[in-house]
Amino acid sequence: MEILDFLAHGFAVALQPEHLLLALIGCTIGTLIGALPGLGPVNGVALLIPLAFNFGLAPTAALILLVSVYYGCMYGGRISSIVLNIPGDEPAMMTTLDGYPMARAGRGGEALGLSAVASFVGATVATIGLTLFAPLLVQVAIRFGPAEYFALFVLAFATIGGVTSGSFTKSFIAACLGLLLGTVGIDPVSSVARYTFGWYELYDGIDYIVALVGLFAVSECLLFLERDRDKATASLRIGSAIPGMRRSLACASTIGRGSVIGFISGVLPGAGASLGSFLSYVLEKRWWGAKGKFGEGDPRGVAAPEAGNNAAAGGALIPMLSLGIPGSGTTAILLALLLSMNITPGPLLFEQQPDMVWGLVAALFIGNVMLLVLNIPLVGLFAKVLQAPSWFLMPVVTLVAFVGIYSLNNSPFDLYMMLAFGVLGYVLRKLDIPTVPVVLGLLLGGQMEFNLRRAMSISSGDWSILWSSGISIGIYLFAVTLLIAGLVYALLISKRLK
Amino acid sequence: MSAEALSDHAALGDRIAGAVLAALALGAWWHAGSFVTGFMQPVGPGVFPRLVSVPLGLLALYLIVRPGLNHRWPGAAALCRQLGVLLLLGAYAAFLEPWGFVPSTLVATVVLMRLFGARWRQALPYGVLLGLSLYVLFEFALGIPLPDMPGLSV
Repeated sequence: MEILDFLAHGFAVALQPEHLLLALIGCTIGTLIGALPGLGPVNGVALLIPLAFNFGLAPTAALILLVSVYYGCMYGGRISSIVLNIPGDEPAMMTTLDGYPMARAGRGGEALGLSAVASFVGATVATIGLTLFAPLLVQVAIRFGPAEYFALFVLAFATIGGVTSGSFTKSFIAACLGLLLGTVGIDPVSSVARYTFGWYELYDGIDYIVALVGLFAVSECLLFLERDRDKATASLRIGSAIPGMRRSLACASTIGRGSVIGFISGVLPGAGASLGSFLSYVLEKRWWGAKGKFGEGDPRGVAAPEAGNNAAAGGALIPMLSLGIPGSGTTAILLALLLSMNITPGPLLFEQQPDMVWGLVAALFIGNVMLLVLNIPLVGLFAKVLQAPSWFLMPVVTLVAFVGIYSLNNSPFDLYMMLAFGVLGYVLRKLDIPTVPVVLGLLLGGQMEFNLRRAMSISSGDWSILWSSGISIGIYLFAVTLLIAGLVYALLISKRLK
Repeated sequence: MSAEALSDHAALGDRIAGAVLAALALGAWWHAGSFVTGFMQPVGPGVFPRLVSVPLGLLALYLIVRPGLNHRWPGAAALCRQLGVLLLLGAYAAFLEPWGFVPSTLVATVVLMRLFGARWRQALPYGVLLGLSLYVLFEFALGIPLPDMPGLSV
């Protein structure tokens, strides 16, 4: 029962008043950002990272704040799906299918209440899973050498197609582009300047935070400018969330199944929350068959994807914390935060900074409860925020991004860089090339190269060290299996769309 | 992203992107040759960029041959607004330090709100309100130092 000791210790960390307050702030801000149409969790966390730096928070505190924002955004994302039929991000898409019909039938409050409970259960199941399984993974990962780590990075990139559910070619192109961008700057091993072309601002490399705020938040603003302007959104009666909470008892089995499916897809590298919500919805629909009214406002069609979505979000933290390999776009951003604080996630993190890891896990449990409680009285307020005009909301988002990035280094160069990445992100999204792999490449490239070089200097230049151990061969085989599974999955989806 | 948001005749965008990326991969490969490998380094600074530029180049060529779907490109009006926002933000970045935070931010918020579709009588009061409240929030509540107005530094 070592884990329970660790967890008790974690609760002691997370229950410090300062950390509790930060969790509360994070949950509230996160729900608000998640609720804004079009601004999903990825943008929310990306926007707040530069700010968290400037608070001068200790790493544990900053992490608690941002993880609360992360969970809050996952909660908030469903509000715009249900009320406006606009999913905040890709995983929330399945919730619109039955959530919006419910809202139109005047059962919006019920749908929101039900989805709050489903999200809570999903996230709690995932957090329990995280507590149980992350240490097991750490036991394995502690034996990894540089060659095994290199294999692990190959695995992360081989399965990247699943993160984004777009075209495989384009996902890999995006990953390669990110890896290449990651080599810009002074090479840490040989001190050679790479691709800097004499710009001394580039010697430190491309700052991930500048790049990701540009790629996500700025490109979002540019995309927003071309949508139809201020179509008056019909204000729907939301009603109370209480009947939805009661309804969730009737959907208990649905929520349970959704949570487990979501958790498993969250843990798989590269699969992530989109797959979690998609699979739980589709399986639930098949489970009930003709008895369900899926697509016309069946409450189970709200409960299943929400449980799956939130369980996957928690599950994705497992590979991120124990191996340093993110399983979703948002965990990639959390990884960016850790790396910029000079914290390298991985098995050593669990050994050297148990305070941080277990404090974080405890903060997740606490944040979950907070979110559920916040959601009962505040759901109406959150839904009101959606009706604020976009000409006010979007400038707020832009300026927060601007000030946050500027204050990182007090450098206008970072701002130009952010705008350049904004244009890049916009063009990529127009071309249907996913931006998450670019960020992953940028983030993981340095570590991947470092491990490759260490392995090669151990073997003094013999490439076969990369596939000489059982573990690394196993990882490559796993990568191939997931790659094939992903291709089959993509084929099935494209058939279904036709 | 739903399937109907994609227009099917826009393969041209993918072909152009493929050509640009292929050129980028080639350039990266070629430039990596100039990185000097140090003494006792089995893997020099040029190897990893080259390892990455090979799949990038091949995939980019594949994209030229078999382009996928693109989203619809914006019309002239939307494009003007986007360029306007980019120019405004670029100018904001340039004027932030010489003008100080408050004046440059006030101009930026008001114009930004106009570009996002507010009327003047909405943009002026709310822009000023937003600019000032951001200043109070960042400078005092969060304690982030922002550039002062010239001549007004405390």
